[in-house]
Amino acid sequence: MLVARGVDEEARQLQKQGALDLWLSCQGQEAAQVGSALAVGPAPTVFPSYREHAVALLRGVTPAELVAQWGGRTFCGWDPLSLRFFPYTLVLAAQTLHGVGYSIGQRLQGREDFVVVYIGDGATSEGDMSEAMNLAAVESASVLFVCQNNGWAISKPAREQMRTSLAERARGFGIEAVRIGGRDPETVFSACSQAAAHVRAERSPCLVEIQVARMHGHSTSDAQEIYRSGEDIAEARAADPVTAYAARLRESGLVDAAWFDGVEAEVRLLREQLMKEYT
Amino acid sequence: MSTASAPLAESINATLADLLDKEPALLLLGEDIGRLGGVFRVTRGLRDRFGADRVRDSLLAESTIVGQAVGLAMSGLVPVCEIQFDGFTYPAVNQLVTQAARIGERSNGQVSPSLVVRIPSGGGVRGVEHHSESNEALFARVPGLSVACPSTGEDADQILRYAVRLGSPVVVYEPIRLYWRRNAPVRDAGPAKSPTAARVVRRGTDLTIATFGAVTHEVLQAAHALAPTVDVEVVDLRWVAPLDMDTVMESVAGTGRLLIVHEGSKDVGIGAEIAAFMAEHGFGVLRAPVRRLAPARRAYPPADFEKDYLIDVQQITDEVLVMTK
Repeated sequence: MLVARGVDEEARQLQKQGALDLWLSCQGQEAAQVGSALAVGPAPTVFPSYREHAVALLRGVTPAELVAQWGGRTFCGWDPLSLRFFPYTLVLAAQTLHGVGYSIGQRLQGREDFVVVYIGDGATSEGDMSEAMNLAAVESASVLFVCQNNGWAISKPAREQMRTSLAERARGFGIEAVRIGGRDPETVFSACSQAAAHVRAERSPCLVEIQVARMHGHSTSDAQEIYRSGEDIAEARAADPVTAYAARLRESGLVDAAWFDGVEAEVRLLREQLMKEYT
Repeated sequence: MSTASAPLAESINATLADLLDKEPALLLLGEDIGRLGGVFRVTRGLRDRFGADRVRDSLLAESTIVGQAVGLAMSGLVPVCEIQFDGFTYPAVNQLVTQAARIGERSNGQVSPSLVVRIPSGGGVRGVEHHSESNEALFARVPGLSVACPSTGEDADQILRYAVRLGSPVVVYEPIRLYWRRNAPVRDAGPAKSPTAARVVRRGTDLTIATFGAVTHEVLQAAHALAPTVDVEVVDLRWVAPLDMDTVMESVAGTGRLLIVHEGSKDVGIGAEIAAFMAEHGFGVLRAPVRRLAPARRAYPPADFEKDYLIDVQQITDEVLVMTK
C-alpha cells in the first residue's frame, strides 16, 4: 500500500511537470486493491479497468511500465500474458465480457479458469457490465467481480447512478455478492478470500463491492472542487486507508520503525528511478 | 448463362464442419445456431456432431457474443461468431471496433486473436426492418478489422479457412439471398491469386465492373446479356478491407472504363474509395469517368418497396451502355 501510494504520488507529480499526459490516481483505493489482490493470489488472470495500479504493482508491473501508457509511449507498458494482468481498458466495462469469455475459454481447455474482473461504480451503468454478470451467472463462470465504488462517476455521485447497491444488483442476476468497507485491507482480504473460495469451490461467479474514498479527482484533468464540497473531500482524505493501516500496524507492534524505514527507502528509490526515467 | 450450384449455406456448413473437425481450438458461437441450426440453417447439424461446448447457443445479446469471443480468443481459442442479421450487428460494434480490432496492438502483439464474425447480409428476401441491411462499409474503415464479402461457396470456403488463422478479427458478410439459391450465373473458373485477392470472374475488353456480394449475380447476368455488343470484365472483389486494388487497376488498364456496383448505399461507400483510388493512381488509363451504381442514402425500405432500392440487371445494363456509348 505504501509502495502504491508512493508510485501514485510520483506519477501525479510527473503529470504536473508535463512528463505524463494524464494520471488516474488510485489514492484511497489501496486497501481495496491490495486486500483483493493478495486474497486471490497470483494464479487468476486479472482483467483490470484502468485504475488498478496497486494490483498491477503486486503482479510485478514495474512503476516505469505502469506509467508508460500515460506518458504516450505505448498502449500497454507491461507483458500481459506472463503477469496474467491484462491491459487497462479505457472503454468502460468492455473488459467485463472479455474476462468472462476468457474464463469460459480456459475451462473449455482444462486450464485455470479463475478470473478477476475489476470495475468502478460508474462503469457498472454500462450495458456490458449487466451482460457480463448475466453471462457469468448462466455459464457459471469462475469470475470474481471486484467493484471499487468510490462514490463518483467523475462528477456524478453514486446515489444518482443507481437505486440499489451493485451487490444487490448482482444478486438479481444470480450472483453471490457482498458489500464491504474498503478502508481496512484485512477486512477486504477476508471478504475476498471467502469470495475466492466460493468461486473455486462452486465454480461460479461472485461479486465483492468495496466502498472506497476518492481522495483526488477522477484524473489529473478533473477539477473535483467544482462539484464536490470541501468537506466531502476532506472527509475522504481523512479516511485515508494507507495512513490508517500504517498507524494500526505501528500501534499493534507487529512491525517496528526499522521496517517502516525500509519501506520508505524502497519507495524513495522507486520514485527516484521513475522520475529519472520520465524527466 | 446460368449453372446449377450447391447452395451457399450448404458450402459454409461443410466448411465449418471441416474446420471444427480439424481445428480443436475452433468453436462456433451465436444466437440459435445450435439446437435450431441458425435462423438460416447454416449451422444445421453441427451441434449434434460436435457438441454444445463447441457449437454454442449464445445469449440473445450481440455485445455479449463478440465481447466474450474476445476473451475466448485471448485464451487461445478461435471463436467463429454468427450475428443473426446484419441490422443486429450494432450492439456489438463497440466490442468489435474498440476491443477486438485493437487487442493485438494493445497487447504489443502478444495476443493475436483469430476471431471471425459471420453476418448474414443484404436484401431481396422480404425481410422486416433491419433484416436486409448491408453495413460492410462501416467496418471497412476500421483499422484492425478485415472485411470479406464472398458471393460463392468456393470463395466463402477459402475466405473462412484463411480468416480463422489470420491472427486478427475478420468480419464475413454472407449474402442472405444466395444462401439457398441453387443456380448461379456462369463464372470463369480461374483460381484467385491468393485468399485475399479479388477474382476476375468474367474476362472482357470494354469495361470493368468491380462488385462484391449478392449483386455480383446481377452484374454477371447483365454482362452475359450485353455480350457481344459490349464485352464486360467483372471483378468480384471478395474483400472490401483490405481492397485488392491491384487486380482492379490491372483490369481497368485493359478496359479503360470502371463501373462500381454494390448493394450498400452509395455515399461514403466502398465504391467511393475505389473511385478515389482510381482518380489518384489510375487516371492515365481511364477513357471515361469512373461511375458508381448503388442505392441512394436512405434506410432500407419495407419489403414492398425493396425492388426500388436494390440494383437490378436492367439498371446495370443501362449504366454500361451509357458508359460505352
